[in-house]
Amino acid sequence: MTEGLQLTAASKYYDEGLNRIAALDRVSIEVRPGEFVAVIGPSGSGKSTFLSVAGALLKASEGEVALNGKDMSKLSANALSELRLHQIGFIMQASNLVPYLNVLDQLLVVKRMAGKVRAADRAKAIKLLEELGLGDKLKSYPEELSGGEKQRTAIARAFINDPSVILADEPTASLDTKRAHEVVSLIAHEVRTRRKAAIMVTHDERLITYCDKIYRMEDGKLTLAFTNSSPKKMS
Amino acid sequence: MFLAWKELKHSKTRFLMIAIIFVLISWLVFILSGLGNGLSTLAAATFKTMKADYVVFEQGSKASMSKSLLSNDLSAALAEMPNVNAVSPMGTMMASAIQGESKSNEDKVDIAMIGIEPGSFLEPAITEGTGLTSEEMTSVIVNETMKDEGFKLGDTFQLDGSPASLTIVGFVENQTYNHVAAVFMPIEEWRKLAFAAPGSDKGVTDPVNAIMLQGATIDPDAINEQLAGIDTVTRAAAVQGMPGYKEENGTIMMMLGFLLAISAFIIGVFFYVFTMQKSNQFGIMKAIGATNRFLGKAVVSQVFVLSLASIIVSVLLTYGTAAIMPQGMPFKLEPKLVFTYSIVLLAISLLSSFASVRTISKIDPLKALGRVE
Repeated sequence: MTEGLQLTAASKYYDEGLNRIAALDRVSIEVRPGEFVAVIGPSGSGKSTFLSVAGALLKASEGEVALNGKDMSKLSANALSELRLHQIGFIMQASNLVPYLNVLDQLLVVKRMAGKVRAADRAKAIKLLEELGLGDKLKSYPEELSGGEKQRTAIARAFINDPSVILADEPTASLDTKRAHEVVSLIAHEVRTRRKAAIMVTHDERLITYCDKIYRMEDGKLTLAFTNSSPKKMS
Repeated sequence: MFLAWKELKHSKTRFLMIAIIFVLISWLVFILSGLGNGLSTLAAATFKTMKADYVVFEQGSKASMSKSLLSNDLSAALAEMPNVNAVSPMGTMMASAIQGESKSNEDKVDIAMIGIEPGSFLEPAITEGTGLTSEEMTSVIVNETMKDEGFKLGDTFQLDGSPASLTIVGFVENQTYNHVAAVFMPIEEWRKLAFAAPGSDKGVTDPVNAIMLQGATIDPDAINEQLAGIDTVTRAAAVQGMPGYKEENGTIMMMLGFLLAISAFIIGVFFYVFTMQKSNQFGIMKAIGATNRFLGKAVVSQVFVLSLASIIVSVLLTYGTAAIMPQGMPFKLEPKLVFTYSIVLLAISLLSSFASVRTISKIDPLKALGRVE
C-alpha cells in the first residue's frame, strides 16, 4: 500500500461552449508522509482545481486520485465528506474561520461533526493550540484575533483529526512577510513532526524555501521545478 | 445543537429581533384564538354544554332554533324511535330584563329565555340556589354573569314589553346563548311569553322550537324518514345553525389562518436569507467534512430553540393580557387550545426552516476555496 497522496494522470475538463477546457491536464504527483510540497503558478493556471481534486472536493474527469492507496473517484458524496473530515486537513485563507465560534470551539466543531466531543478531544485540542502559541486565546473569537493568530487557528483545525494529508490554500494571503514566514514555517514543522503529506498552493515564491519539492503549474500542467535538499527549518 | 446555540449566543441582537416578531405574531394568534373561543362560548355555550346528542328541528329550518316550530306531540313518537334514550323539548326567545322600575339604559339587560321541562336532562347544574320546579312557573335560573349586572338570588325582574315578572331562584355557570346570558324557565311559562300574540303559534299545539334527543347511536336519517316534517341533526350542526355563528367563527378562523401563514413566511424567509448570507461559512464547514445533515440539524435546531422560546414568552404575555382584560370581554383561554396553537406554530416554523436546509444541501464546498480577499 502506498502511503500519502497520489495523483496519476488526473485531468479535469470543463465544457465552455463548444470548447473543452482542461483545467487539469494529466497531472501526476506523489506526496509521501512527512513531505511538504509547494505548487506555485500564476492565477488561472489551475491551482485551485488541483487542490480541489486533491482534497476530494471535485472529482477528476480522468485519471486516478488515491489516498493511502485507495481510489477516491468511486466514493459517494457522504463518503467523501467522511474522508475530508478524517483524512484531509484544509488550511484556508485567513477569513475562513466560523465567526461565532471561539478558538477552542473552532477545533471542537470538527470533532462534533464526527460525533461526540470527549474530554480527551478537548484536552488534545487545548494541547494543540498551546503548541501553536494560542494557549491564552482559547476563548477569543476570530474578530479579536490578528491575521497570524487566525491562520494558526486554521492550522490547528487542520491537524485536530490527525489527517493523512494537509492541503493549504494560499495560507499567507493577507499576511505581512514576517507573519507569512511564521505561519509557513509552523506548517512545515507540524507536517514533518507529525509525518503528514502536505501540499501548499501559493503565489508567494519567498515561502518555498520551507518545502521539499516545488512544482510549477501552468495551463493545467504540473511540472517539478526543483527539489530542495535542505529545506529551511523553523527558526 | 452545538453550532445553533453558539451562534444564538454570539448574534444576540439578530436573533432577538426575529424572536420579537415571532413573539408578537404568536401573541396575536393566542389572543385571537382566545377571543374566538370566548365569542363562540358566548354564542352557544348553552348548546355546547347541553347533554343532548341530536336535535330535531322543523323541516326547512336550516337547523336554527329561531326558524323552527314543532309540536311537542312529536316527543312521544320520537321517544319510540330506535336508540333514543331520552327526549326533551326546548324553546328559545330573546328578551330584555328590567331591574325594578328603572328607566335608565344601564338597568336593561339582554337575556335569552330558554324554555325547558323542569328536571329534564336539559336543565343545567345549579351553582347556587335551587332548580326549576313545575309548581313555581315564574321561577327561573339564570347565568352567573347577571350577578355583574346587579341581579341577586330572590330578585324579581320584569320583561320589557310584557307584564310578566320572573323570580331568580338559582344561578348556573357558563350558560350563554346568542351572546347574552341564558335564563332557564319552565317551558309552559316560556310558551305563554313566546306566543303571547294570538296566532303566532301558527295553530301548532304545544309549540316548541326543537326537541332534544339523547342517544349516541341514533340514526338521524332513519328518524327523518319515519316522521314527516322534521329535520334531525347533530348537536354540533345545531351550533353551526345558530344565526351568525358560522360567520363569526369563520372570520376569526380566517384571521388565524392568515397569521399562521404569515408567521411561516417570516420565519422561513428570515432563516433562508440568513442561510444565504452564511453560504460561504457553510461551504468551509462542508470542505472540512461537515455533512448536509450536520449543518441542516444546526439550522433546524436553531429554529426550534428560537420558536419554542418565543412561543413560551407569548403564552406568558397572553395570560398576562387575559388577566388585565375587562370583565365583559368575550375572552376565554383554554389550556388545550393554547397548547394546540403552540404546537401548530412550532410545527409551522420548523417546516418553513426546511427551505434553508434545502439551500444548504446545494451549497458547494468549493466556495471555501474561493479567493475571498
